[in-house]
Amino acid sequence: MVRNAREEILGKLRAAPKREVSVRPEMSPLNEVALDREQMIAKFTETLFLQTGIVHRVKDNHEALDKLKEIAEAEGLKRVVVSTDDVIAPLDLPSWGEQNGVHVSRARDFKDRNEFKDEVFARVEAGITGADFAVAESGTLGLIHDADQARLISLAPILHIALVPVERFVPVYESAINKIFENGDTLPSQFTFITGPSMTADIQATPFRGMHGPRRIIVILIG
Amino acid sequence: MNIQTEQFVEVARREMADLTSRAFLQLLPPVIAAMRKAGMATFPDPDAANEYSRAIRAEVVARLPELLEEFEANATARGATVIWARDAKEANDFILNLALERGIKYVTKGKSMVSEELGTNDVLIRNGIEAFETDLGEFIAQQLHRPPFHIVGPAVNVSVQEVCDLFMEKAGMEEPTTDPVELGYAARLYLRDKFHHLEMGITGVNMAVAETGSIINVENEGNIRLTKSSPRIQVSVMSIEKVVPNMEDAMHVLRLLCRNCTGQSISSYVSIDTGPKKDDEIDGPEELYIVIVDNGRSDLYGDVKAREALRCIRCGACLNHCPVYATIGGYPYGWAYSGPMGQVLNPLLLGLERTQDLYRACTLCGACKEVCPSGIDHPSMFLYYRSKDVKGDGELKGKKRDWKEVSIFKLFTLASTLPWFWNMGIRLLRPLYNRNAENGVVTHMSGPFEGWFRTRNLPAIPSKTFHERWKNIREKRSS
Repeated sequence: MVRNAREEILGKLRAAPKREVSVRPEMSPLNEVALDREQMIAKFTETLFLQTGIVHRVKDNHEALDKLKEIAEAEGLKRVVVSTDDVIAPLDLPSWGEQNGVHVSRARDFKDRNEFKDEVFARVEAGITGADFAVAESGTLGLIHDADQARLISLAPILHIALVPVERFVPVYESAINKIFENGDTLPSQFTFITGPSMTADIQATPFRGMHGPRRIIVILIG
Repeated sequence: MNIQTEQFVEVARREMADLTSRAFLQLLPPVIAAMRKAGMATFPDPDAANEYSRAIRAEVVARLPELLEEFEANATARGATVIWARDAKEANDFILNLALERGIKYVTKGKSMVSEELGTNDVLIRNGIEAFETDLGEFIAQQLHRPPFHIVGPAVNVSVQEVCDLFMEKAGMEEPTTDPVELGYAARLYLRDKFHHLEMGITGVNMAVAETGSIINVENEGNIRLTKSSPRIQVSVMSIEKVVPNMEDAMHVLRLLCRNCTGQSISSYVSIDTGPKKDDEIDGPEELYIVIVDNGRSDLYGDVKAREALRCIRCGACLNHCPVYATIGGYPYGWAYSGPMGQVLNPLLLGLERTQDLYRACTLCGACKEVCPSGIDHPSMFLYYRSKDVKGDGELKGKKRDWKEVSIFKLFTLASTLPWFWNMGIRLLRPLYNRNAENGVVTHMSGPFEGWFRTRNLPAIPSKTFHERWKNIREKRSS
């Protein structure tokens, strides 16, 4: 039956009168394409700030850990979940957590999905992740989800802290998308653009942040 | 969802008297329109950007069958299961049977206009599976059993007191409050528990990318990401026109969609799924089903004028610029789609007969057409529907007119093409017509033309028409 539906729908579409596909009109590239790295960082910071996102900049991984400690103290973080992507893994956050009195868990510490969900939904106060791209155009982070970048870490906890090496800045969405989708054999199961915290204005048009995802997002740029 | 398109006038009257609706209609559309304008200004040439996305949507409609096949092949190659559904029943049956087979107790829904169209919630609920809308506005609208007031803010007009009463009763809120932020937080807590233990999630699709087999969701709240990340089973429902050729086109349409929808450069979250999760991933769906829904669209695809409606990306820009919508709000349109978008889509999907007032409640001002990032010419669509309707078109289910109306217009056509017939008609009708004249103006009329004269005046026919005077002058000169 399902098979028949496919043939019937496509059959009707194919049988319909054909129309020529017109040539695409001219369009000049976005202004952001011409920005150098420092300009991209400035644009990103300014744009994300309008979405209440806070951006810090540190010199190296060592300073990044100090900054994390500072944030953990200011926010009173006692329990966090962290990803194991190539930005976060070298930081050895479990040791950092031991030194600073913060319980740090990773996706691999859990036996299955349900135990992991209990942690991210009900126990932790923040999720800490790296990011694969920072897009200047709109103050946007790009995260490739895989075994080391579980989807719920940047989503379920009320605070999201993201660390991004400055080499990962790109001007526009296409620069990120082209890199991800250039090799058809290694496409990620999910890729996410994140711009500011979760929000809504559905009751009386009053803005409310932290609707279902994080209420706040803090970005630490490294380099 | 009940279809109430036939009560357009009645509901419009009621809404025009509703002070809360009026307050929001005076505030919301102009504010979003201004934000849209600011957002468009970030393009080096906003008009060119608009033209480019219109060209993409035109190409999608022209290449629809091949793009769908390409999408299906690539999505399947990445491990998704693609299901085709001819109508609402086939789509809902698939979703219901899957849920029953897997022993699902409840599902969460990401905001999906097509599932509103299909009435998926009702089918699940009737069969003992709870379905929670999780977009805050949809959640409120669902609990109150109301159609969406606005595509972006489905319940934005509902008063805080009403939301408070609702949440006390149905969302486990303990202390009454009328603070919108606290109300939002109460909804977060209630729905969070649903996301936490979720086994099956249902979402819509903003774009389906043919080249990669990916589906894209655009949202601000995070409810769609949660609906796709937490459960083992993900069902994403799309109507056939959601496909776009490639990722670069998708990124351009994304920019236009967000700017036109809420005035944002980009929404908080844009998530792109290509196949289900990999084996070593701890979250994300093990099974990903993509349901491609026709529901009457392939029939109207044969009509090259009507198929233009398939360009629509559901951004809602037309609502925010429509003077009629700004007066009556979203309820009178009586179904999932409101404003000019609904006036274009509902008549095609439900038939012209059931949607009589929708394509007539329009001044043909063209504000919708001007902003539309998909290049739909709404006014010309409405004129097309009107003509198909009076002719009783079979495909579009037009309603013929009765013999009196048909005869009056046949006579009128004849009179306007034959001068002698026109002049004779004027002479015959003059005494009858001028009976209603006051100071040389006719302001009212009883009978079939009563409605026309309610908001319009016409001058009385002079005792001597131009033609009669002209004839006299010529006779005098020649004599």
